[in-house]
Amino acid sequence: MIARNARNLRIGDRLAPLAAVFLVLTACDNDNSDTTGSILEVWAHAGQESERSVLIDQVAQFNAREADVEVRLTLIPEGSYNAQVQAAAVAGGLPDLLELDGPFLYAYVWQGRLQPLDRLLPEGLRADLLPSIIEQGRYHDRLWAFGTFDSGLGLYADRVQLEQADIRIPDLNTPWDAAEFEDILERLATRDADGQVLDLKLNYAGEWYTYGFSPLIQSAGGGLIDRSDVARAEGVLDGPSSIGAMRRIQSWILRGRVDPNIDDAAFATRRVALALGGHWNYPRYSGRLGEDLLLLPLPDLGHGPKTGQGSWCWAVTADSTQPDGAARFLAFLLEPDQILAMTAANGAVPATRRAIARSPLYRPGGPLDLFVEQLDGGYAVPRPPTPAYPVITAEFQKAFDRIRSGGEVQAALQRAARVIDLEIEDNQGYPLVGRAREETIR
Amino acid sequence: MSAPRSRRRFNDQTASGLLLAGPAMLGLLLFILAPFLIALALAFTNLRLGSPLPLEFVGLKQFQRIFADPDFLQALSNNLLCALTVVPLQTALALGLALLLNRGLRGTVVFRTLFFMPVVFPMSLVAVVWVLIYAPGPDGMMNGFLDLVTLGAWEPRDFLRDPMLAMPALMLLSIWQGAGFQMVILLAGLQQIPHELYEAAALDGAGRWSQFRHVTLPQLRNPLVFVVLVTSILAFRLFDQVQIMTRGGPNGATTTVMYEAVQAVFTRQQVARASAMTVVFFLLVLAVTWLQRRLARQEREIG
Repeated sequence: MIARNARNLRIGDRLAPLAAVFLVLTACDNDNSDTTGSILEVWAHAGQESERSVLIDQVAQFNAREADVEVRLTLIPEGSYNAQVQAAAVAGGLPDLLELDGPFLYAYVWQGRLQPLDRLLPEGLRADLLPSIIEQGRYHDRLWAFGTFDSGLGLYADRVQLEQADIRIPDLNTPWDAAEFEDILERLATRDADGQVLDLKLNYAGEWYTYGFSPLIQSAGGGLIDRSDVARAEGVLDGPSSIGAMRRIQSWILRGRVDPNIDDAAFATRRVALALGGHWNYPRYSGRLGEDLLLLPLPDLGHGPKTGQGSWCWAVTADSTQPDGAARFLAFLLEPDQILAMTAANGAVPATRRAIARSPLYRPGGPLDLFVEQLDGGYAVPRPPTPAYPVITAEFQKAFDRIRSGGEVQAALQRAARVIDLEIEDNQGYPLVGRAREETIR
Repeated sequence: MSAPRSRRRFNDQTASGLLLAGPAMLGLLLFILAPFLIALALAFTNLRLGSPLPLEFVGLKQFQRIFADPDFLQALSNNLLCALTVVPLQTALALGLALLLNRGLRGTVVFRTLFFMPVVFPMSLVAVVWVLIYAPGPDGMMNGFLDLVTLGAWEPRDFLRDPMLAMPALMLLSIWQGAGFQMVILLAGLQQIPHELYEAAALDGAGRWSQFRHVTLPQLRNPLVFVVLVTSILAFRLFDQVQIMTRGGPNGATTTVMYEAVQAVFTRQQVARASAMTVVFFLLVLAVTWLQRRLARQEREIG
């Protein structure tokens, strides 16, 4: 019986996108018929169970409160979310409101799928949002999307092991510099059975490589692409600063200081003293280490400590006939209570200062306060805001994979830079044409 | 000459013949020929999924690009290496298992089921389980096993991250997973061989090895040709294991043409480039199949 149910569930999951398309098709048919409450189609990624149930609950609350807009939510599996939504976009079947993973936003804007949100964002709310939220949503001087939460990246540390090795505890104003950090790795290693003292979450792979390691490249003065008007990777991604940063990371790995973290428990079992990690690691780490858990900024490789940012965000589609209904739903999701409900479920950084002030984890003095300071203080670097992002991240991931297995750093980065530039050239540098141009000046 | 042949081609059974072949032909047309022709046409354009820029005819550019792309070339050579290693090894293993099971010992049914079981499991499941088997460090099953058989001389390795070991590791798993299928086919072939042939051979004074060389192998020719053909095609189609276990890494050591094509279209939206890859891939598999059929036919003429 259980097996049978599980089977049904799986088939249900597979059919969900089909059902979504079908729903949209039928919704289009119904457009002409007069209904009192208009339907607002919303697509979101089916995240963790807790996150999913909060969103479903939020939709129910909103529908109960609003008489003339009814949100109809469709959840799409996270693994292939972008591919499925892109396919639906080509088929012309997008909903009114769409959830997108941050750096994939710009491709949708360029394709003319979205409309700007500047005039839809409630008055006074803009100043309340963290600057990182606005920065991620901006493209060609318009705001296209914003999230109700952001992500945090930092270095978790085991207070006991640091104290035993007599290591100074850094903060954002006095971060460890490169030499100090490498000295710390060696000092910790002498007290460690296998000499592996750092967890870089090498077991994650995929988007983690870009999210987790490009801040270190930024901190060394390098980057993934040149962010001036003409985006180019050659000379930046394969420039001396980026090569230097990647050589450092490679040397940590090849010298045996990095735990491969195959069981995803290197830090939680106190096998290592330091772990690069995101806000999502906090619940487990604090559960295991309690008062001994420290959250520190990433080391400063020359140009100040940097960190990652960006998460899921909401965008209104260009063809939506109900931008105002969508705006009402977004304003609802940005209410402090709703943000707190969502961030309690997924652990992420609340997007507004009002919500942060009420969050036990993120309020000033709270254990994850550093994440807010980083996002608010200009330490966070968004991933490159260009439609080329899918190619940039794919190529960087490949290069990182080569480098971590001992490949030549410069050759790997040069190869990635060439492929990225070729892609940008092939797309003529992503000129604003057609629908995207109309939407930008709307 | 032409008259009897044309009579043979069109007679009163032609209509029902076509009718019966119809559904299969329609399927081939819709799901093999039409997609191939569309891919062929798209390979000469610059199509990108969702791009607002106008579609352009770019001639052979996509083909020039992929043949100048070290990743694609490595994928091709990986595919060839995989086929050249897996086909003989897997066929030999399947034949060995089939011969063992054909001896009619007790427990044949149990062993046949055990050997065939991996075939029934979905490849994605098998791949996830083998990731655990290949776990690095002394706790990994494969490392532990090798440590045991080498009496402690084996240094634990990270199989899926080692440029030298990753591809052999995938091939070992593929052989384990696929051998059961071929074993069943060869077993069926073995059971078709008339017992009288062995008796006659024994009367002629043929030993075990001679019987195998001169009775079993020639009699198994057709199943063997089929098995080799199917194994080659499956070896070229290597994808699931790569996607789940290594994502083409480390340093491109396990990337395959299928993996590169899927990456191009689904992570980079490069429909035209992926089309060019699949066209090359299709022609390659076609060539290999044709070559094998030709060689097999020659063998028959000589024999």
